[in-house]
Amino acid sequence: MASGESPYKRTTYRYSPLLALLLVPNSIIHRSWGKFIFSASDLLVGLFIREILKLRKVVCTVSVMVWLLNPFTFTIGTRGNCEPIVCAMILWIIFSLMKGNLSQAAFWYGLVVHFRVYPIIYALPIILVLDSKLFRSGPKPSLEDWNSHTSSTEKKTFHFSVRSLFSRERIMFGLISGGVFLACNAVSFYFYGHEFLHEALLYHLTRTDPRHNFSIYFYHIYLHYERQFSAVEKLISFLPQFTVQLALVFSFSKDPVFCMFLQTVAFVAFNKVITAQYFVWFYCLLPLILPWSRMKLKWEGILCIILWIGAQTHWLLWGYMLEFKGVNVLLQLWMASLVFLAANTFVLVKIIQRHRFSPLFRQYGSSDGKNVKKLD
Amino acid sequence: MGSKRGRSVIAATSIFLAMSCLNSISTTQVGTSMLDSDTFCISDQYIMQSYFTTQSSLNESEFRHLHKECSENIPYEDVPAVATLQHRDVTGEGSHRHLLTTIKLRSFHSQSHLHKLVIVERLPLGVFADPFELQSLQQRRAFRDVSVFGDTDLEQPSFRSNRSVVEIHVEINGNGETSVKLPLHARYQPIGESGYSRVEFGEPDLFLCSRHVPNQEHEQRRCLVLSVGRSKTQTRSVFWEIPAGIRSHTEYVSVVTFVAAVLSAFSILVASVLSSKVESCKNTKEL
Repeated sequence: MASGESPYKRTTYRYSPLLALLLVPNSIIHRSWGKFIFSASDLLVGLFIREILKLRKVVCTVSVMVWLLNPFTFTIGTRGNCEPIVCAMILWIIFSLMKGNLSQAAFWYGLVVHFRVYPIIYALPIILVLDSKLFRSGPKPSLEDWNSHTSSTEKKTFHFSVRSLFSRERIMFGLISGGVFLACNAVSFYFYGHEFLHEALLYHLTRTDPRHNFSIYFYHIYLHYERQFSAVEKLISFLPQFTVQLALVFSFSKDPVFCMFLQTVAFVAFNKVITAQYFVWFYCLLPLILPWSRMKLKWEGILCIILWIGAQTHWLLWGYMLEFKGVNVLLQLWMASLVFLAANTFVLVKIIQRHRFSPLFRQYGSSDGKNVKKLD
Repeated sequence: MGSKRGRSVIAATSIFLAMSCLNSISTTQVGTSMLDSDTFCISDQYIMQSYFTTQSSLNESEFRHLHKECSENIPYEDVPAVATLQHRDVTGEGSHRHLLTTIKLRSFHSQSHLHKLVIVERLPLGVFADPFELQSLQQRRAFRDVSVFGDTDLEQPSFRSNRSVVEIHVEINGNGETSVKLPLHARYQPIGESGYSRVEFGEPDLFLCSRHVPNQEHEQRRCLVLSVGRSKTQTRSVFWEIPAGIRSHTEYVSVVTFVAAVLSAFSILVASVLSSKVESCKNTKEL
């Protein structure tokens, strides 16, 4: 890009040209510029986690350490992957919403969806939480004081009415984020044409990669690659993903951070392609929900960690046999993917069961609770 | 007496004729060096550079048409046009291996203008070379020049991709022997019955060219086609067994995949709904 050419000349470049623009100093200043930026974003994510938890009046050292000292997440930035930037943007959006800064949240949301398509799954919980009973732009929203009992008078899910569906805040959010998204795409299209559309957007929506990855679908896709999938088949394979996303949103949207975390884990687990960098998407949200979990590290927490890492390692062993030893273990590798999905499901269900539900925003007009409950 | 002399004259003539016949036979067996050298000229940096503008495949019949005539002022050189393939093998394990080729030129003259050995490797369907990896090898001076032509899509499985060609330029050292290690990667193979797909490597096409002068754009360079012979030790063909999907797995893999997805989705659904119910029960109790 530094020499005026398209970043899509490199056949495996599948991101926004904005990312390539951000990395132009790699050619000009120093070739590790990108890695510095990503590592700085990593630290920024740690800072945002701390700020968000402080806003919710929680002591947060352990949570911040879970992100900053996680060897998986900090190596992602240092090896040159741009995910920490995306995580920083997502957390900034959450922070802005908590501060009542609607336009800023909307702007960054439009940008992050242009950057990476997956945050589109957060659209529904964000829109739902912009209920005018809870959130009005202008005055700072009152955050639920989770130490008290005010949540006892509220319903867990939203009560819909057509009028509230199109509240001023929701429309504003939709317009601003939609506008930013379209503007970024328009500029990119202007410079790079159809190549940009195909590589950065459409590829991610229609990606079916038959090469081996953690997804349970890879072998199915490979065995059927010689013939195209019919529309019905594609729809059927999308149904589990779709149902789970809807179920999670309608069950947990009042606590949007928890909802987003669950949605991300489920989205990654049911996706047609899973690569290790996708895990960072929910790792950045994990510290934000840990303080509300009744799960103790001993032994349930450790069991979850061991199961999840164990299933991954098991898959990697078979992957090594296939790729570096040249032995046909495709069937065993696929079975390891199934085990990994089972581990993901188990951990997800356990987290749901052990979560102390805490809505983010307090309803306008409700009184403060008198009882203060200690964290157990 | 006359018949004896006559017979010896006939014998001597026959021997002479036989020897000259043998000479010409061995000349044609050896190659085309003296009588009808297959030389051509190129104006690009790479022989294969403009190949795909006129040809669409790498079949043998089409490949022979890349030779272009030379203009008059290019000096002609009489150089032996034979190379021996001393060693050819695929080394390594797994999906990432190296194609090792050792070539020896017959009677190489270090005074000759033709200094550069050009190896054109038409890769079989099923493997590919990574252009970026080759570029970094070139920067580390493993090759003088290297480029990949044809289908360079790194991600497509082999039944969706077309063949590619790697053109490597190496300088020849004093004894006329050179060794090249080309890193290759396996594509996903078409599914079959046995679980493995065999990819066979043919022989490389070898040329001897004069050096490319970087600043002169339209200068023509002469290239000589080398005929490739195998050494006595190198008689077996070179192949690579790559893991491939097994057709008989298709049905039950699809069924089990979808059952697993549905079961997981169902567990998460149940857990979410139950969790909502538990919370609202708790809330109503506390009221």
